Amino acid sequence: MSDAKAVADRLVKAKRLNALLTPAKDLRKSLLAQAAAARPTGVLYGMPVAVKDNICTLEFTTTCGSKILEGYQSPYEATAITKLKAAGALIAGKTNCDEFAMGSSTEHSAYGRVVHPLDKTRVPGGSSGGSAALVAAGAVPAALGSDTGGSVRQPAAFCGVVGIKPTYGRVSRYGLVAFGSSLDQIGVFGRSVHDAARVLSVISGRDPKDATCEDRDPLRLPNVPESLQGFVIGLPKEYFPPELDPAVRRACDRAIRMMKELGASIREVSLPHTPYAVPTYYVIAPAEASSNLARYDGVRYGPRFDGNADLRGLYRATRGQGFGAEVRRRILVGTYVLSAGYYDAYYRRAQQMRALIAQDFRNVFDRGVDLLFTPTVPSPAFKAGEKLSDPIAMYMSDIFTVTANLAGLPAISLPIGRVKGLPIGGQVIGQAFLEDEMLEAAYALERVVPATDEA
Amino acid sequence: MSVSRDDVLRIAQLAELDVTEEALAEMADQMSRILDYVAQLSAIPTNGTVKTFVPGPDAIRFRPDEVAPPPLAFGPEEFAPAFKEGFFVVPKLGQFE
Repeated sequence: MSDAKAVADRLVKAKRLNALLTPAKDLRKSLLAQAAAARPTGVLYGMPVAVKDNICTLEFTTTCGSKILEGYQSPYEATAITKLKAAGALIAGKTNCDEFAMGSSTEHSAYGRVVHPLDKTRVPGGSSGGSAALVAAGAVPAALGSDTGGSVRQPAAFCGVVGIKPTYGRVSRYGLVAFGSSLDQIGVFGRSVHDAARVLSVISGRDPKDATCEDRDPLRLPNVPESLQGFVIGLPKEYFPPELDPAVRRACDRAIRMMKELGASIREVSLPHTPYAVPTYYVIAPAEASSNLARYDGVRYGPRFDGNADLRGLYRATRGQGFGAEVRRRILVGTYVLSAGYYDAYYRRAQQMRALIAQDFRNVFDRGVDLLFTPTVPSPAFKAGEKLSDPIAMYMSDIFTVTANLAGLPAISLPIGRVKGLPIGGQVIGQAFLEDEMLEAAYALERVVPATDEA
Repeated sequence: MSVSRDDVLRIAQLAELDVTEEALAEMADQMSRILDYVAQLSAIPTNGTVKTFVPGPDAIRFRPDEVAPPPLAFGPEEFAPAFKEGFFVVPKLGQFE
């Protein structure tokens, strides 16, 4: 049982990262109360878990990094939070994120950008950048994020921690503020595979409050395997393009060599529709977002802007002033691709492409491949401001992560080396609901890979 | 450029979102870049019969159809911008175009 005061002190000490949105005073008070009430028999007894600010909690406000929910106190909590508390964990404050989880750098937060823990000129990745930065800084052993197109794995890779996106339907989305409902999953950050995996195991499993959550028992954690004998690991050639950062390639080659030494059989495979994944994602995600974010209108909750206007003026003023630039852009793109005359050309086409991308994975897994190994991101953490004026360049940061969301598959990013001191992540993609196999490979690789050595 | 300033205004109206005059040009430019980029999807042949893919359970499980109070820790009077006698208070409807 960690001392609640010490937990709060560690989090407050990491203030320079701007990763935590909860004020120090509220955090201390709540942690002391939570520690007094925590169940000593729970499997996570006393473990502090920081939570991305788009997951509803009763202890703290839930703003989604947006002005449109400034000061919003949710009247209910997410199922994942209820399960964490039942296991004895402490909810260690809310973490900064890109507004409504839309972004890849945590620069699109109404509450300021999050600083990379190893280099203050760089971004921690996003959108769950606050959660990743706090885990990397050692302020908490684990944190929750959400992953719609890579928002857990990409910042995990940039910050040098472990990030897991479970199979769609493994974890209840009840209380996760919806962005792209067919893509969103709550994910977990940890300093080690085991820390992340045991939190995932606690939050997973059926939930009558979420019809898209599968009727399954919570995930059972595998043992750490002695070897990878019997595993067939595929390397999708589309994820190793000639323009891949050479250091990322070197780190991947080293990890692949080590998996081979552990007895895995390595096979080159092809997922031919990969080049269309990012355009597909940037049709489907904004389309779903434009619909999900229609609820923020200044009527039922959150602040109200220009209350003197008529009703329609109130909607427009509240949404126009309450949402930041990236969210406004995505709502408009989403509205455009769903509007009459464009629906077939964009949205229907993207839905068809999504099916082909999912089929690519099934084809590979049907041919005896157990897992896929790829880089998580094409490059290490980039400089703050570098991609802000070019949305497409920012979107390309998700090129290796969006496919798992489109196909609903589980994936994990773990640190596999560094370049000039900056972490590089390797991604293992598993088959639906076979997180245990994915975790076995990650456990084995984590034990041998020199995660903090230059590649 | 595929998206004009007028297009942005029309879409913004559908989305009930104010876009300021100063932001209009940049929004049109960035939306054009995004839509031109995703337009590559229409250039590739997909078989018209491709079945769409949605992850998650094949069938929706229904909960028992029982009336229960909403599971809220506190009521809307605590979080609504304006709430009176059981109703959300809004300004008058005004003129719809």
